[in-house]
Amino acid sequence: MISKNLREEVHNCIKCGICLTPCPVYKQRLVEVASPRGKVQLIRNIMEGNLELSENFVRILFTCLLCETCTVNCPSGLKVDQLMKAMRVKVIEKFGLPGKKKFLFELLTGKRLLPFYLFWGRVLRNNLLPLFPVKGKVGTIPLKKFPRLNRQPFLKKIPEVISVPEPKGRVLYFTGCATNYLDGEIGRATIEILVRLGVEVIVPKDQMCCGLPIFLAGAPKMALPNILKNVALFNRWDVDVVVVECATCGAALKKEYPHFLKEMGEKTEEAMALSQKVLDISQYLMKFDLGKMLKPIKGKVTYHDPCHLLRSQGVKDEPRALLRQIPELDFVEMAEADVCCGGGGTFQWEHPRISENITAQKIESIEKTKANFVATGCPGCRLQIFGNLKKDGVEVIHPVQLIFRSLSG
Amino acid sequence: MLTEKILHEFETILGKERILTSKEDLLSYAYDAYVEEYLPEAVLFPKTSAEVSQIMQVASTHRIFVTPRGAGSGLAACSLAKQGGVILCFTMMNRILEINKPNRYAIVEPGVVVSEFQKEVEKIGLFYPPDPGSATVATMGGTVLMNAGGMRGIKYGVTRDYLMGLQGVLPSGEVIQTGSLTAKDVTGYDLTRLICGSEGTLAVVTRITVRLLPKPKARRTLQAIYNTIDQAGNTVARIVEEGIIPATLELMDKMIIKALEDYAHLGLPLDAEAVLLIEVDGDPESVEKQAGIIAEFCRGQGARDVRVSQSEKESEQLWMARRGAFGAVARMRPTCVIEDATVPVSFLTRAIKEVITIAQRNQVQIAVLAHAGDGNLHPLVLCDLRDKEEMKRVEKAMDEIVDFAMSVGGVLSGEHGIGIAKAKYLPRQLSPQTLNLMRTLKNTFDPLGILNPGSFLECAP
Repeated sequence: MISKNLREEVHNCIKCGICLTPCPVYKQRLVEVASPRGKVQLIRNIMEGNLELSENFVRILFTCLLCETCTVNCPSGLKVDQLMKAMRVKVIEKFGLPGKKKFLFELLTGKRLLPFYLFWGRVLRNNLLPLFPVKGKVGTIPLKKFPRLNRQPFLKKIPEVISVPEPKGRVLYFTGCATNYLDGEIGRATIEILVRLGVEVIVPKDQMCCGLPIFLAGAPKMALPNILKNVALFNRWDVDVVVVECATCGAALKKEYPHFLKEMGEKTEEAMALSQKVLDISQYLMKFDLGKMLKPIKGKVTYHDPCHLLRSQGVKDEPRALLRQIPELDFVEMAEADVCCGGGGTFQWEHPRISENITAQKIESIEKTKANFVATGCPGCRLQIFGNLKKDGVEVIHPVQLIFRSLSG
Repeated sequence: MLTEKILHEFETILGKERILTSKEDLLSYAYDAYVEEYLPEAVLFPKTSAEVSQIMQVASTHRIFVTPRGAGSGLAACSLAKQGGVILCFTMMNRILEINKPNRYAIVEPGVVVSEFQKEVEKIGLFYPPDPGSATVATMGGTVLMNAGGMRGIKYGVTRDYLMGLQGVLPSGEVIQTGSLTAKDVTGYDLTRLICGSEGTLAVVTRITVRLLPKPKARRTLQAIYNTIDQAGNTVARIVEEGIIPATLELMDKMIIKALEDYAHLGLPLDAEAVLLIEVDGDPESVEKQAGIIAEFCRGQGARDVRVSQSEKESEQLWMARRGAFGAVARMRPTCVIEDATVPVSFLTRAIKEVITIAQRNQVQIAVLAHAGDGNLHPLVLCDLRDKEEMKRVEKAMDEIVDFAMSVGGVLSGEHGIGIAKAKYLPRQLSPQTLNLMRTLKNTFDPLGILNPGSFLECAP
């Protein structure tokens, strides 16, 4: 499963250790196996036959947020995250998915197609609760802080094609599960903004969970049907751009699909073509002159960089620039805005203690800014940050929601 | 041999959580940034001097080998369990205990990361100058035991020059204090400086008192680009001669330039043969003046382009890239062995040319990086550990570099340490009498020979 190229990566690690200090997990645990260098060296030992694939190794491998901080910091240019992802697939082949995750992902890809967030949102509130950690928390997040579900999936409420007279553009909008099942508001804001800018929006009804959470857990075979269906679907529509407002979905479509498919021996041309059309919503909106249309919002906003937006997609300036356009809204940069919030998909659920400490630092940075709004384009980050905020009165929000409010006045 | 019973004794001191023995854990403490690896039998994580003292007592009683370790960014296997035994890892003993502004000193535990300490003191206008390339990883304890140098050596010296005192634990478990909190102190032998740079063979450091300077009010980075190494070398000589002391004076050759471009995209010209990266610091007026004079020198020696950084951020990017040079160069080949020979600064240009000739003669790829201002060469030998034949040629090239350095009054290592990497050359620099005296000292501190066994003195012929 690990391609020849990736196998060669382990020999390029010169063990300099520059990846240690920036790694949020290492910073908490301070033991070498928690560091990217440690994990890469263990993978090398496995490849060289000095180490068996053990359950302990699996635990080590999954004690990683996949935030990609190591990858961007590695002077040798090692694709650390790709190596870890490929290795996860290999260990899951041997050990299988842990029960809880298997259940989760079956829901996500199964016939009834209950996606990720539907699961988090609904199932946790009722009789399946005993499956999960106790004390009224899932991982680090108190149950009462889980968002409510959309009454009806967002995709069911809107037409597939939203036309405008004399369109200035034609985009396909990939909503992602979070918007579809949890944050319909974000979907509504996205579409409204696009329509006001004179852009025709297509929201394919049969789009599926992007599959990234499943793939990252090491179960690519489960994710493959979703990926293939999504790729085929997008190429059916003739659009200029595919916009995504979820950092993770964006990373999947823009970057990960071609890798996944290649690693799995599937064709990659269509996925490559798709990846070149994908833009994060903030990138797309910056192409327009929104400034004149915006009305003041009083207060302070700070921005948190989602790993899947900053490091996977390289989007840093656009969301900030977008927020800075809003009249009277004071933009305050938080300390270490680019450090992972500690959520890491299912990481916070599997490693609540480590996650809690990482998140505590994020919360501290946020509180120091005295902001009323924390804007971030990732549903996982929003859940993690909102779930751990101690103070009331801070709104955790997607940048498009603020733009929409400002547009509406 | 580490038995269950002895492990249990360690457990009563540290608890189960701070002792690692799984195969995965041991393998990940078998390396540092050097090429060789040695598997320890257990890894212990103390948090207090008292715990260290108790651990050393148990180790002495049972004659268990103990090797101290920081973050493992060293380049000579100094922190590896070369003869088995336990690794005493200090990453969890990482508090900054005091930063004293009126008396300009700070007291830290050994596991504090150097760059994090630097940031903390700079917040209140103070300055800790030792700045090894690995500052973002390396721990204070590690840099003390290795007497780490770094890029600011020419103006500010090395770790040794900032140590006021240490708390250490002897192999017997006895706790000692060296030095003091005063700027002047001539009481007795200078044990602080003896332990500093001892590569963890004399005592384990559990508390470090360092001298701080006021933070320079301004700094500027200059980047000069040359068509020949000679021109760059001559500029260095001119600057040193003229009595200007820049904070850093780094030289990079063609291969390094290419690697840094691939990694950080700084806009360096790929056809240049050498780049000098120079930082000046001090009061704003003197910084401006010095930067101007240095820029003139650079042009006078034929620099084709001299750029002065316009902002702190721009300087930072340049130095970040320079910090990654070791790794960036490693993109070219899987293995990178760093030489560290140092020559009197007037021999620098000759030494660099000699290294290039040696590389050609032995058909080995060598990129040259140098802390030019202090004559500290860092030839980076690019190779593949898996290619035995190539590694033989690498070794021969290294021998020849050492030969040259010795012939002009240079030293084996400027800052990386001897470890096992250079032990075989030791008699080239140290006389039998000196080596003997060092061995006697080692024996006085560690009569049972349990602290960091297999280190330079034992490996030396």
